[in-house]
Amino acid sequence: MAATSTYMASTNFSMLGWRGSKRELRKRSVFSVSSQQAEVEEQAKTEKATEVNDAKQQAKATTPLRPVEPQVNVKSKNMGREYGGQWLSSATRHVRIYAAYIDPETCEFDQTQMDKLTLILDPTDEFVWTDETCNKVYSYFQELVDHYEGAPLTEYTLRLIGSDIEHYIRKLLYEGEIQYNMNARMLNFSMGKPRIGFNYNEGQIQDVQ
Amino acid sequence: MQGRLSAWLVKHGLIHRSLGFDYQGIETLQIKPKDWHSIAVILYVYGYNYLRSQCAYDVAPGGLLASVYHLTRIEYGVDQPEEVCIKVFASRRNPRIPSVFWVWKSVDFQERESYDMLGISYDNHPRLKRILMPESWIGWPLRKDYIAPNFYEIQDAH
Repeated sequence: MAATSTYMASTNFSMLGWRGSKRELRKRSVFSVSSQQAEVEEQAKTEKATEVNDAKQQAKATTPLRPVEPQVNVKSKNMGREYGGQWLSSATRHVRIYAAYIDPETCEFDQTQMDKLTLILDPTDEFVWTDETCNKVYSYFQELVDHYEGAPLTEYTLRLIGSDIEHYIRKLLYEGEIQYNMNARMLNFSMGKPRIGFNYNEGQIQDVQ
Repeated sequence: MQGRLSAWLVKHGLIHRSLGFDYQGIETLQIKPKDWHSIAVILYVYGYNYLRSQCAYDVAPGGLLASVYHLTRIEYGVDQPEEVCIKVFASRRNPRIPSVFWVWKSVDFQERESYDMLGISYDNHPRLKRILMPESWIGWPLRKDYIAPNFYEIQDAH
């Protein structure tokens, strides 16, 4: 199943105030109830008809997902100057993180809701994703978001999170949990050539004899 | 060994230290950060009307940060213009050096780059902010104790 998935984590921080010119992420301790609601939003491509909404069947010892509830009537704000004229993002090949709400069906991009982070996982379909591996990445994303709670909401922090997720995807690939999608549009093996019988844990140190 | 400018500065009672000559025979002086702005004005009045380059470097791990200025005296009918190299050292804890933007305007971007790469904050610079790195970047990349973050880059794609 090759799916382009979006996942919105309700972050534990919200943009409550502007301190000088720095944006601060603050803990939303008061509204912790709303950040406990869980739902996964998957936007499938044409071959995938049904949506998957499961937060229960995750593997143990992972951070439970706390996605944002879907909204109706989301409008693209067109990133106009009246909203600051900019948006925060971290875009690498497999991970795109936006500090915005993106509607999973209509792809409306509301970048004024900066208390939410949206993860678009593997938009170029380089890997074969299942629900389980998607959820692993999502829960790792949630874990990282919790870990970076209190950090300033800047591109730098988003890039740290995005890079960690990329490293995590690479680890999943090396452990054989996800595979390259051989029907991808570009087949350039951006995380290393496919190997057989390669174990990430054993083969990590490969010195030249 | 004392160069011409050093002798001239000594004659006018201006505090500096001569660092000798570089490989092209250009006189090199060290000036304290607190004296640098006034001496820059004096050097401009003396005739150094052209700032050829400004750069900065990290002297040693845990040591000082240096900001280097190459000044040239441009005149008509001179094919060997007078040159001098000024080094200003600042402590790593609180690197503050007065900006010479208001003396030589061409130092604008170069001081911003020095700020970006080494974190030397130039006082009185009109828009001192990062110029090469993203504005939200943390850390000073050309310092010797800088540790690059583990950002994901595509290296294996082919």
